[in-house]
Amino acid sequence: MSVVTEVSADGQKLTISVKGRFDFGRHQEFRESYERLTKKPDSIVVDLKDATYLDSSALGMLLLLRDHAGGDDSDVRVVNSNSDVRKILAISNFDKLFDIS
Amino acid sequence: MQPLEPLTILIAEDSAADRLLLSTIVRRQGHEVLTATHGGEAVEAFIRQKPHLVLMDAMMPVMDGFEAARQIKKLAGESLVPIIFLTSLTESEALARCLEAGGDDFLAKPYNQVILAAKIKAMDRLRRLQATVLQQRDLIAKHHDYLLNEQRVAKAVFDKVAHSGCLSAPNIRYLQSPYALFNGDLLLAAYTPAGDMHVLLGDFTGHGLPAAVGAMPLAEVFYGMTAKGYGLAETLREMNAKLKRILPVDMFCCATLLCLSFQRRSVEVWNGGMPDGYLHCLATGERTPLAARHLPLGVLSPQTFDDRTEVHPMAVGDRVFLLSDGVIDTCDANDQLFGVERLHKVFAANRQPDRLFEDIEQALQDFRGEARDDVSMVEVSLLEAEQINPSAPVYSDSGQSCPLDWSVSFEFRGATLKRFNPLPYLLQLLLEVHGLRAQSGALYSVLAELYSNALEHGVLGLDSSLKRDASGFAHYYEQRNARLEALQDGYVRVHLQVRPEGEGGCLVVRVEDSGQGFDVARVMERPLDDVRLSGRGVSLVRQLARNASWSDDGRSARVEFFWEALA
Amino acid sequence: MADTHVDHEALSALREVMEDSYPELLDTFLADSENRLRELQQTADADALSSVAHSFKGSSSNMGATRLAVLCQELEQHAKDKSPSEIIKLVADIHSEFADVRPVYVAERQRSLTH
Repeated sequence: MSVVTEVSADGQKLTISVKGRFDFGRHQEFRESYERLTKKPDSIVVDLKDATYLDSSALGMLLLLRDHAGGDDSDVRVVNSNSDVRKILAISNFDKLFDIS
Repeated sequence: MQPLEPLTILIAEDSAADRLLLSTIVRRQGHEVLTATHGGEAVEAFIRQKPHLVLMDAMMPVMDGFEAARQIKKLAGESLVPIIFLTSLTESEALARCLEAGGDDFLAKPYNQVILAAKIKAMDRLRRLQATVLQQRDLIAKHHDYLLNEQRVAKAVFDKVAHSGCLSAPNIRYLQSPYALFNGDLLLAAYTPAGDMHVLLGDFTGHGLPAAVGAMPLAEVFYGMTAKGYGLAETLREMNAKLKRILPVDMFCCATLLCLSFQRRSVEVWNGGMPDGYLHCLATGERTPLAARHLPLGVLSPQTFDDRTEVHPMAVGDRVFLLSDGVIDTCDANDQLFGVERLHKVFAANRQPDRLFEDIEQALQDFRGEARDDVSMVEVSLLEAEQINPSAPVYSDSGQSCPLDWSVSFEFRGATLKRFNPLPYLLQLLLEVHGLRAQSGALYSVLAELYSNALEHGVLGLDSSLKRDASGFAHYYEQRNARLEALQDGYVRVHLQVRPEGEGGCLVVRVEDSGQGFDVARVMERPLDDVRLSGRGVSLVRQLARNASWSDDGRSARVEFFWEALA
Repeated sequence: MADTHVDHEALSALREVMEDSYPELLDTFLADSENRLRELQQTADADALSSVAHSFKGSSSNMGATRLAVLCQELEQHAKDKSPSEIIKLVADIHSEFADVRPVYVAERQRSLTH
């Protein structure tokens, strides 16, 4: 399983961990991880600690997630990116849309 | 478990009793039986009736089982016809022979019905699996062909749209794969009415048709607006809004846009998500990175889109170099990336600027071991304004009903000055006058100069002498943006008057601003072809239009354009 | 004594599988076997002996004549390295073993007619 989800006890926070290559092959798993929740969480954290690589389809997936979570009103954080992933997020200026750390 | 469908099974066995026994067993299991008494007969029976499965005695006269198996396997081709060897051979060597000859399994004598039934079932499962694989492979191949054809058609349509640009201008050099579009790479270039050049290097997410389909509306906005005289910011806003509207949420277009002005000797840059571009200063050899400060196009809503650009001065011979991420992302056999550091090394080692592309291609080839055909690179140089020859726009009306005697006045105030660029509209209006069309370039340049002077130096009070060097340049544009944001009052008035004169006509343009004015006499004293970065506005206006004059302490400018009778 | 040379369970299995064709199977086996015995006696070529022995071994084992199958196996494997006299003895053994089991199959044939 390269996409692992964890919901907090009160259902308010969803953590999605992506392991390995975050690319087009993860599309279905990633969508399912947030689409099938009955209660929409208030905040979402995408943990990239074990993600080795990110490409433009991953950026697209993050946009879909953000759109699902309320667009401009959403609270989506992207955490634990390694330096390569950080670089890609920086060039695409995704820190303007997501809280990246 | 599914009940087995009846199969046609060929039994090749020379011993009559064994053959009879086996046939009976197999028939009882619900299958149709063909028999052969030696290998040759087996092969013939196979050719004639194409059984699903073969039970083959290893030792037979005339042609033994091994040879028959080889021949049958060859005849079967891609399909799987399982062959089960019947054998009382015990040595493992002999058994190995069975498998080498193409046998899929073997059944020992004395025949055990239960085992035989199980083996037939297992072999049949494999047979059907192979058949499914082949069927799906063929289906995939067919769909792939359809897809390739669709892409060919899309490419043909797109090429018509893309070629209204000026990529063949003398100051542009580029490298692009013929299938760039299907990697999502886009390269567009067009002249503005003033003779400036807009260039776009873009990279759509995804490949193939989705990427190509997004490129067409984008290209139409780019060419349409550039031709009308819209600036980079307005064009960017429109392109972003269009893509945001038509593309799915997870699709976007990384892009770098340039506006190169030969007259103002500057380049305006907007980079959303593309790798760094580089501004190469010929005199110092320095390369200034043009980094991405924006999100790609098609992500933000029109309300949150950021159209702020950066402006850098350029001297004649300076170049802007842009590249797609295909260069940086090139991998070698160990999955190592070419990366930005290696690119910088190529820059440092490059001795002849004209050979930069070749140097980069060579470095990529050395690194990867083979050439890559999906990188896009473009290099735009600043040449002398005279060397640039934009082709004249083509008009579709006859000019029989054009307006010849009229005037109009506009006043653009505070809030409008912040957000609105009136120049394209004014130009469109003036181009209704047939006689002015031949001078549309000069007309636009002069109007643009007068308006921007009125706005920047007049209303915003910016000091044009700031633009004397590169850092001053940056500071100037920062101040411009800040003051424009904060603007509340002030105005720019534009008066246009067209009247017949002799066989042709005359256009009088007056532009007034609410600013402090300037020392007209002092500026007029300067020689006409001053090559300084600042203060070029007055010089330009005096060169391109007739009877340029300033009044009201420099707050009001007036110019004239004339035209002869048209043939 | 002949019955210990024939696996009666194998015979019942055959009877059950073959049903009405059981007599035909028995007849075919007996006829084939006679032919094979004749071939064994008439040839001295090691390869030919081996090949016939192999076939005979196969059908005997199918028909439950286990000892006969073993003897055929012996001849098949060693036709090349046994001396002519040893071969003659082995062929004779095969012949005699068949003579022993033949009545069993004939009896089976009789029985199947009446059942």
